[in-house]
This record gives sequence, C-alpha cells and structure tokens, in this order.
Amino acid sequence: MRIPFWVRKLAGGLAAALLASGAHAQAGQEITFWIRAADAGFVEPLVKTWNAKHANQVALTVIPSDDFVTKFGTAVAGGAAPDVVAIDLIFVPAFAQAGQLSDIGAEARSLPFAKSLSPSHVRLAMFDGKQYAVPFSAESSFLLYNKALFKRAGLDPNKPPTTMAELEADAKKIAALGGGVKGFYFSGACGGCNIFTMTPYVWASGGDVFSADNKRETLDNPALRNTLAMYRRMWKDGVMPSGVKTDNGSNFISPFFSGKIGMQGTGAFAIGLLKKEHPEIDFGVTPLPGEKGGSSSFAGGDSIAIPVGSKHKKEAWDFITWCLSEEVQVEQFAKNGSIPVRADLADNVYSKQDSRFAMASAAMQAGRTPYSVHFNQLINDPNGPWLAMIQEAVFGKGVDVAIKDGQAKFRQILATP
Amino acid sequence: MLTLAGIKMPRRWAGLFFILPCLAVTTVFFIVPLLMTVWMSLNTWPLLGHPSFSGLKNYVDLFQDESFWGAVLFTAKYTLVVTPAIFLFAFALALLVHRSVRFVGIFRTAYFLPVVIGMTTASLLWTWLFNDQVGIFSAVLMDLGLVDEPVQWLGETNSALASIVVMVLWKAAGFTMVILLVGMQAIPTDLYEAACLDGAGWWAQVRYITVPMMRRTFALALTMSFIGSFLAFEQFFVMTRGGPFNSTITVVHWIYRASFTYFKLGYGAAMSVVLLLMLLVLSGIQLYLLRDEP
Repeated sequence: MRIPFWVRKLAGGLAAALLASGAHAQAGQEITFWIRAADAGFVEPLVKTWNAKHANQVALTVIPSDDFVTKFGTAVAGGAAPDVVAIDLIFVPAFAQAGQLSDIGAEARSLPFAKSLSPSHVRLAMFDGKQYAVPFSAESSFLLYNKALFKRAGLDPNKPPTTMAELEADAKKIAALGGGVKGFYFSGACGGCNIFTMTPYVWASGGDVFSADNKRETLDNPALRNTLAMYRRMWKDGVMPSGVKTDNGSNFISPFFSGKIGMQGTGAFAIGLLKKEHPEIDFGVTPLPGEKGGSSSFAGGDSIAIPVGSKHKKEAWDFITWCLSEEVQVEQFAKNGSIPVRADLADNVYSKQDSRFAMASAAMQAGRTPYSVHFNQLINDPNGPWLAMIQEAVFGKGVDVAIKDGQAKFRQILATP
Repeated sequence: MLTLAGIKMPRRWAGLFFILPCLAVTTVFFIVPLLMTVWMSLNTWPLLGHPSFSGLKNYVDLFQDESFWGAVLFTAKYTLVVTPAIFLFAFALALLVHRSVRFVGIFRTAYFLPVVIGMTTASLLWTWLFNDQVGIFSAVLMDLGLVDEPVQWLGETNSALASIVVMVLWKAAGFTMVILLVGMQAIPTDLYEAACLDGAGWWAQVRYITVPMMRRTFALALTMSFIGSFLAFEQFFVMTRGGPFNSTITVVHWIYRASFTYFKLGYGAAMSVVLLLMLLVLSGIQLYLLRDEP
C-alpha cells in the first residue's frame, strides 16, 4: 500500500513532537505564573534566577494591573487558571470567597518562619478560618518630599510635617515659590492609589472607611471629612497641579521626577526608583501624619496563591517556598529596593545602607489593610463609589455631598453577599 | 437536475447549498450566541460559580437601575452629536475628493487611512495627544501664549465629550466618506451636464441633484454610523474611563462593568438584550424616515 506523502510527513511531525514533549517531561514540569504589570520589574529577574537553577521551569505571564481581577476571573471561569498567581493582597478575600484558591493553610503553618510573615498579608489570606495565600511582596505607604524645595521655601528639610496642618502649611509655602512648582500631588482619578496614600491620614486621625467587622462602611467620620477637606483646600488654592484631576495612576510618581512637586504619598518602590533613575533629586521620606500627630500606613503588596485549577500544586508550592526564602526576600527584593515580607529579615544588609528603607519597613509592620470581598467594586473600580466620592469631594460639589453619596453606594454594594 | 461537486441533485437544492456557508457562519457566530445571551439573561450568572435560573429578575432590576438609564441617556447624547458631525464632515470630504483631479488618490487614501487603525489604538494615540504633560495640543497652545497652564481636555464632561468627538471624526469620517463617494459616483454625469446647460451653479447641482439622488446612500451611511456610535466603548474606556464624575459611561461600558467588574454576567446579558431591542427600534424608525418616497 502506498502511503501519501503528506501522511508520512504528518506522522513524522507527530513523532518528533512526541519525542520533544517526552524530553520536556524529563527536564521538569512547567509552572505557569501570573503577575500584574506593576510587579514585572522585580518578578522577571526572580523567575530568571529560578529557571537557571531548577528543573521545573516557571513560565511568567504579565497582566496589565487594572485588568488583573477581570483576566484572572475570566481564566478561572474558563478553566484556564495558571498554577501560581501573585495577586494584590486586597483581592485574596474575594477570590477565596468565590472558591477559586486552594487551601494552603497546613503547608503555610509548617513553614519555619510562619510566625514572622507579614500580619496584614496573613489576615487578608484568611477566609472562613482557612488560609488561601501567603505573602509574596510588601509595599507600605508614606510621605515623599523634595528636600531642595523645602530649603528654597525656607523650611527645614530635616523637619518634615508631623501633623496634617503642618503638611498643608508646608505645601502652601512650597507652591508659593511659583514657576510651576507645586506643594502637593496625588492621583485624583485613581481609586487604588488613594486607598494607599489617602486613608493613612484618616487612620492616623482615628477614623476608618470600614467598621471593625468589615461589614459596614464608616465614611461619615470627622477624620475622613477633614482629610478630604484638606485635599479640597489644596486643590482650590492651586497648591496642586491641574493634572491631579485626571491622573488615573499612570502619573502616580512621574511628576515628582520633574523636581517641581513638594510632597506626595507613595510606596517603597519609589525609593529604589528615585535613587536609580533620578539621583539628582534630594528626597526624604516620613510617615503619613494624622490631624494631631501620630501616623499610619497602608500595608500592601502581593500575596501568592495556588488556584484550584492548578495541575502542578506540589511544584507550585516548591516555587512559593523558594520565593519566601532569604535568597529571594533579601538578595532579590531588599537588594532592589523593596521590603521583605518576613519580619525576621526586615533588618538586613541592604536596609542598613539607607535609613529610608528602614522607615518603609517600620511603616509596613505598623500598617493597616482594609478587608472586604467587595474591594474591587468599592475601591479599585475607576467608576466605583470610593473614587466618585474623592472626585466629588475634592474637585466637585464638596465634602458633605460626596460622603453622603458615597455612603449610599457603599451600602448598596456591601449589602450583596 | 444539476451536478455539483460530482453529486446530482434537483436544481432547487443547489440554491440551498450556495447559501449554506453563509447560513452556517451566521448560525455559529450570531444566532447561537444570541440565543445563549437571551438564556444567560434569564439566569443569575456569576463569572465565578454556578448559574441559577431567575426568570425575569435581571430585567426587573434593570428597569430600576438609574445608572443604566443614565448611561443610555449619555450614549444617546453622544450619538446625537457625533452622527451628524461625522455625516456632514464626511459629505464635505466626499465632495472634495469626488472629482478626478491630480493627486486625488493621495487625498482619498489620506482621509481613509485612520479607518484601518483599531479604535483602541487610535484612542491610546489621542489620549497621549490630549495628555497635559506630554500632549501636543496643550504644548502648542502654551507655546502660542494662549494658555498659561496645560489644558485638561478630558477633565470636564463637555470638553471630554468634545475631545472624543474630534477623535472619532478623525477616525471614522473616512469610512462614511467612502460610502458617500460610491453613491455620488453612481449618479449619471448627464444629469449634471443637463443642469449645467440650464445654468445651474455648483451649489444648485449639489442641492437638486446630488442630495436627492443619494437618499439610499444617506440611509445606509447614517444607519451604520448611528449604530456604531450607539455601541461606542473603546474610545471612552481608554480615554476617559467613564470619568470625570462617571459622566461619560456609555451603555456598552456599563455592560462591560456589570459583567467583568461586578462579575454579573446574567445582568450584563439582560442589558445587551435591551440594547439590541432599542437599536432595532431606533434603526427601524430611522430607515422609515429615510425611505424612498412612494
């Protein structure tokens, strides 16, 4: 019997493919790993290091930060979940509630350093008494200020503001320098940015956004009212550049690079970035203050978890434990200007080189994080009630109207299971 | 009897075979998804988790959802602004490139070129053109000394809407222009020659020959641009994200939010069905108004 040429060719191709996949299986498994774009900078070198040393290869996929929840949710629903995900710690409750993450409590508790893992991360990894994630990376918020502008405005660059009133007065003095110099900056069209940099003022002043049991909103409190009012005054008085109104987070840090911004809230990533790319800017960092002193911080970052659809759970856990090792937390993260998620590693050779990192680490340990399964709809959604409230309060009709509207919309969303 | 691909069949079957590819594509890519959407709209269908039948609940909720009707109103406003704008602009362009003069091909290509760019790409491009830090529009105005501070083009509802309309004009007018051009060139030239002999000027020729002879083309161009505008999504999603103050959220943007931010696929499906019905009715009215006179 004569076999057509194309059949022989196809058979040959198939055999080659089978051989290749056989060889691949011998070399190790492929672990798929999804992260958000904001983390690409420190995760890409980490994956490269892992792949160079291990038989199991990690295949990294970077998802645009804003679309992460949507993309991951859709992938899980379509049965195409990755083996490992690093997600903003804030979203762990929602995915745990939806039954999309594997319970890794037993493994996590058996880690020798289990007790020193970032408490905020661990608290948000819990749902109904089970643990669905472990910390991956840490990010705390604090106030970043330009020392050169402080000097020019006649302020002491070594005495950053310790109350909100001082902050506002300093910002005004800096803005009075003119020539495009402004006292304060924030991303006014970005919900996530403001839970990170604005709520610490509220917490430090004794207020909060959610009740202690996370079930109700507590927006109508003097601390939030006064914080929003301070932002509104700074906007009305021209202390902030006009761009704050439309900044959806894409200019979260870049205006500071121009050297024309006096102060702004930011995260530890900015320290490394400024040192590396803008050594000409002399900057200081200080905790975000409250109305009458005190300070607070948002303890953020990413948690790492194994989706229920993962086909390589054991290999995935090996990778995760490696991510928590000193080799990664210190030699990868701390070295490149971020803070370790393990308290026992907070004091390391790199944090000792720059006291600004020590401040960021201390802020992390003392930081707070809201817990809500509706976090995305409430806070991060660009059309959600948190951002609508900030926009209305700072740029629109005013604080009272904004808080009243915000309360109604928060309640509506919180009422759904 | 007829032989097709070696098979003998009655002649009337052949017709069926000829439309089969079209029928198959329409069934797989339109009718089946449409029926699935209708079925989904009758369920509480979370993106994560299991759907459960809920009858007309989604529709009842929808009729009480102020934000949805706000989005419908805004989309209608946008459509009423952008459809005539595109049409008039495209008609002017078509009149310009209608005559065969030198280099007319270059102009036709230039006006049509933005059409082949994806809407998302075009929106991103214009987002940066409108950007206050690096955008060219603010920079030019500041260099001319007309403004002191960068203009926040997307900062107010009306200026954001105007900015997007300008972008869409640039992006979509070329397509309408081509449709109108085809209609224009189908008009026999002897009509113009006769009018010329009767002493009709350029304007009279446009008014009494071109416009009346293009009624059907107008109907096609207007309906297409109307439906396109009513389904607007990318330009708003990319350029304003529905802001400022959530004042530029279109219907399709709302469907996207319900489905992928709130993970309520059933509710999103119900909105899609309502939008489809609205478009059917509105297009029907439009075609009736633009019908050939009896």
